[in-house]
Amino acid sequence: MKIESLKFEGLNFSYEGQEYPLFENVDFDFPMNNLIWVKATHGSGRSSLLQILAGLQMPSKGKYLINDENVSEMSFEEFLPFRKQIGYAFDFGGLINNLSLLDNVTLPLLYHKTLSPEAARDRAVEYFTELDAKKYLNMRPAMVPGGMRKLTCLIRALIVHPQLLLLDDPSVGVSQETILKYFDIIMKLRTKGICSHVLINSFDDKMMNCLDHKEIFVDGGFIYQDLGEIQKKVVSL
Amino acid sequence: MVGALIDRLGRTVVSNVEYTVNVLFMVYLSFRAAVVDQAQGFRTVVSVISNQIYFTGWQAMPLMGILALATGSIVILQASVNLSLLGGQQMMGNLLVAIVVRELGPLMTALVVIARSGTAVASEIGNMRANREIEALESMGINPLSYIVFPRILGGVISVLCLSFYFTVIALVGGFLATKMIHDMPFAFYMSSLGQAFAAEDVWLFLVKNTFSGMMIFVICCFQGLQVKKSPTEVPVATTQAVVKSMIYVVCFNLIVTALFYMNQLMKLGVL
Repeated sequence: MKIESLKFEGLNFSYEGQEYPLFENVDFDFPMNNLIWVKATHGSGRSSLLQILAGLQMPSKGKYLINDENVSEMSFEEFLPFRKQIGYAFDFGGLINNLSLLDNVTLPLLYHKTLSPEAARDRAVEYFTELDAKKYLNMRPAMVPGGMRKLTCLIRALIVHPQLLLLDDPSVGVSQETILKYFDIIMKLRTKGICSHVLINSFDDKMMNCLDHKEIFVDGGFIYQDLGEIQKKVVSL
Repeated sequence: MVGALIDRLGRTVVSNVEYTVNVLFMVYLSFRAAVVDQAQGFRTVVSVISNQIYFTGWQAMPLMGILALATGSIVILQASVNLSLLGGQQMMGNLLVAIVVRELGPLMTALVVIARSGTAVASEIGNMRANREIEALESMGINPLSYIVFPRILGGVISVLCLSFYFTVIALVGGFLATKMIHDMPFAFYMSSLGQAFAAEDVWLFLVKNTFSGMMIFVICCFQGLQVKKSPTEVPVATTQAVVKSMIYVVCFNLIVTALFYMNQLMKLGVL
């Protein structure tokens, strides 16, 4: 299943008990085949935006369309072919505590029988080795440093070779050198047509300036493609 | 005063019915997901089920053995002393089948499983929720209901059935041997008395009580675990609620089944 477009149509989103919606009547057509930096202030809904795109949160009103199909109306099974093309890295947590780091990253590959156990292991070892983390492979999340847990989450999102990669604060707790190596892997994959659409939430200007990217802005319950739109809105108010 | 009481009673009934509907809906979804989910291999499910049987069934055997031995000894001792005073030792088997096989076996097993495994399941799932592991499974395209809930229910039911059988055998045979020194009753007489007391309905009653008790325990504990939203501080609350609700549901269910069973017996005898 190829992901060709991602759109919001009149999308509203709020958490249970929240007085004001995080997103209100948002219409947005996400730029495709790009590495996109989602810029926003704290609490403006950038993590929620990625969660909606990953299908982990459902809009309270409006539509989230993948290839013009409304995700809100899909069952778990109907969304599965899209889900298998989406890699999502959490900002914190998200590793299965009773599995080793190796089992954590190979779980999606083995569960969906994407690769044989040997091939899945080889791919995991390759990425862990490239990111100088091989020695932690057989340890459980509780036994490794926080940065290592974060890196494992990033590798798990990447290992399925998704078309859409969503990274929530990828550089937090990870060294600059390691995160740049991680992006080197992404860039190599992008040349092969993998990870075509990448969305990154980050406050790390230094890291983002090393990458060739486009920007989108989340502000006041809306999403904009350039700052000019926000300024226009402020002036009109 | 009476109005307020009726009002409170009504609210309790409505909230319990609502709770039961939600729990049953989760059961339906988890079984449906297990059937529909093409990706989930037989090996994955069997591995989670076997783990559940190991923790719930195998690891509980020493505790169940001690409890069964103690319970069996007490019941056999009391029954033999009181029945010999009344001159009804032939009724020994009937009394033991009624007390141990029909009532104590399923109830004691359920209570031990709630205390050992129900708490473990509720807190494990609650912690998985707080640690975003459930969300992570969803993000990988793994349905938590078929991967976590379904195997635990199935493994739990199998464990409860086996444990209850184990409890009954230890209580009846071990209990007799443990009290052999105190009272003098030939083993052959005891076994034949038990054999004569067993009926096909006892097997059905045993299966119904244990299967549904096991299902209720694990369904309620999984449901309560999944009620945790974000914070680890919600986990102890969810665990306590899982224990309380499982106990209430299991005890009420056992009571209802026993009442229906004896009503049926009385109808057969023409009393009702």
